[in-house]
Amino acid sequence: MAREETQNLEADRNLVLSSLEHDQLVRAKKHHIPRRILKGPELAILWTLRIYLIFMMAVVVYQVWTAAH
Amino acid sequence: MSVGSQPLATNSIAADETVVITHEDVDRAHDRVRVSEARARRGFFPGARLLWLLVGPGVLVMLGENDGPSMLAYAATGAKFGVGFFLPFVVLTFVMAIVVQEMTVRLGAATHRGHAELIFDRFGPFWGWFSMIDLALGNFLTLITEFIAIRAGLGFFGVPPWMAILIALVILYAALMSHRYWTWERITLAAALFNLVFIPVALMTHPHWHAVRHAFITWQPMPGFNKDTLLIVLADIGATVTPWMLFFQQSATVDKGLTTKDIRFGRIDTVLGAALATAAALATILATAPLFAHQMGADNFQAAEFAQALQPIIGRFGASLFALGMVEAGIVASITISTSSAYAFGEVTHKPHSLNLPMGQGKAFYSVLTLCAAAAAAIVLIPGLPLVYVVLLVNVVAVLAMPPALVFLFMLVNDREIMGDLVSPPWANVLSSGVVFILTSAGVLFGISIIAPNIFALLGGK
Repeated sequence: MAREETQNLEADRNLVLSSLEHDQLVRAKKHHIPRRILKGPELAILWTLRIYLIFMMAVVVYQVWTAAH
Repeated sequence: MSVGSQPLATNSIAADETVVITHEDVDRAHDRVRVSEARARRGFFPGARLLWLLVGPGVLVMLGENDGPSMLAYAATGAKFGVGFFLPFVVLTFVMAIVVQEMTVRLGAATHRGHAELIFDRFGPFWGWFSMIDLALGNFLTLITEFIAIRAGLGFFGVPPWMAILIALVILYAALMSHRYWTWERITLAAALFNLVFIPVALMTHPHWHAVRHAFITWQPMPGFNKDTLLIVLADIGATVTPWMLFFQQSATVDKGLTTKDIRFGRIDTVLGAALATAAALATILATAPLFAHQMGADNFQAAEFAQALQPIIGRFGASLFALGMVEAGIVASITISTSSAYAFGEVTHKPHSLNLPMGQGKAFYSVLTLCAAAAAAIVLIPGLPLVYVVLLVNVVAVLAMPPALVFLFMLVNDREIMGDLVSPPWANVLSSGVVFILTSAGVLFGISIIAPNIFALLGGK
């Protein structure tokens, strides 16, 4: 029984390693992808997004407050 | 994942590292073996089988977005404007959806990572958590509207609200029970194809085909430019591309195990899904166009009310099909939207997230999925629920989420460090940046229209 299980495990392992790309393995996905180094235009875009979010959140809070009253 | 043709060192498995194989890996490997076998053969039938094996995320995302509120938006379009400008316009919105969703296929196949995970890793925890929380909130509110559609649709048949909600939850849970992505995908696809029920309903109304052909060729008659028209334009755009779609298709592409070799089929899948969804959307407009001809005010119609209004024109059977179509739209969207929340949660928290997970290994994933759906369903059963307020909040949150999601998608798909040679070519960037600009502007305008409707009243209309 134990030998059969070992053979099954070995078969599964061979199947996985021959069918999936290494990046697809659950084990590989535990590694984080390195953070992107942002340059001028990209930083500007993200700051624009932050300003947009602050504005929109204020609008949402105002909307909730208005509806509540 | 690659840098050009070189794999990123952080993501490769060192030769001396013990490779741990999980249940999820084995299930995915079985799916990939079938794909490889089909690809190895030549001829029509192996090609058709390969397509059958690889379609899924694109069709699901497009038909999933034909959800309860979207079908109501199309029904309202037909009832308010009849056959004309909006027929070709809806086709255009689906073309924009293809442009956006194709990017998620490439990202998923090239990186084997979900959208939320890539945002978290590449742009930091702030944007990662923001994307996940914003998506989860928007999805939760949208789920409420899906269950409202299900309740209203089944209400047409006299089904009590609690039973309608229970039926929807049982279907959602039944699809999950296999703990196998492939089975879940096929069950959900079968349910999603029922979206096409709007086509026979449209045929029952005996559409004026000459007017339909004229509308597609000339985009006429054009509606007058006023607040009402603008709101319908924005609602139809909002009915075609929403944040959960980006997250869902990329995560499903990864969970299905698609690789860079499958991108062509991923594109076909997306186009096929868009074609089916367009057919259903156009059919809904055509189905309710007779209400425009009869000058029937349908401003605040819900699913069951459209079915009731159509009953004198298409009979009880046709009206029943229309109501069932609304129910299907709500059920399929509730499945796909709750799944996208669970994927995003797993991706950001780095907990196991796959529909191939056995219950024991995927407790967090399945808990998020079922709790989101169950909580939204329970809220719908609360007596005196302010539905209008929920719909308003859905739109506002969607407006909040859409620009960041689109901007990150655009930046990620042009990130050569993770995409290698699969970054977008310049012509595709011109096209996609134009679409991103239009969708972002439309979302912001839609938000403003909800928050400050008086601004749009300056344009005329009500």
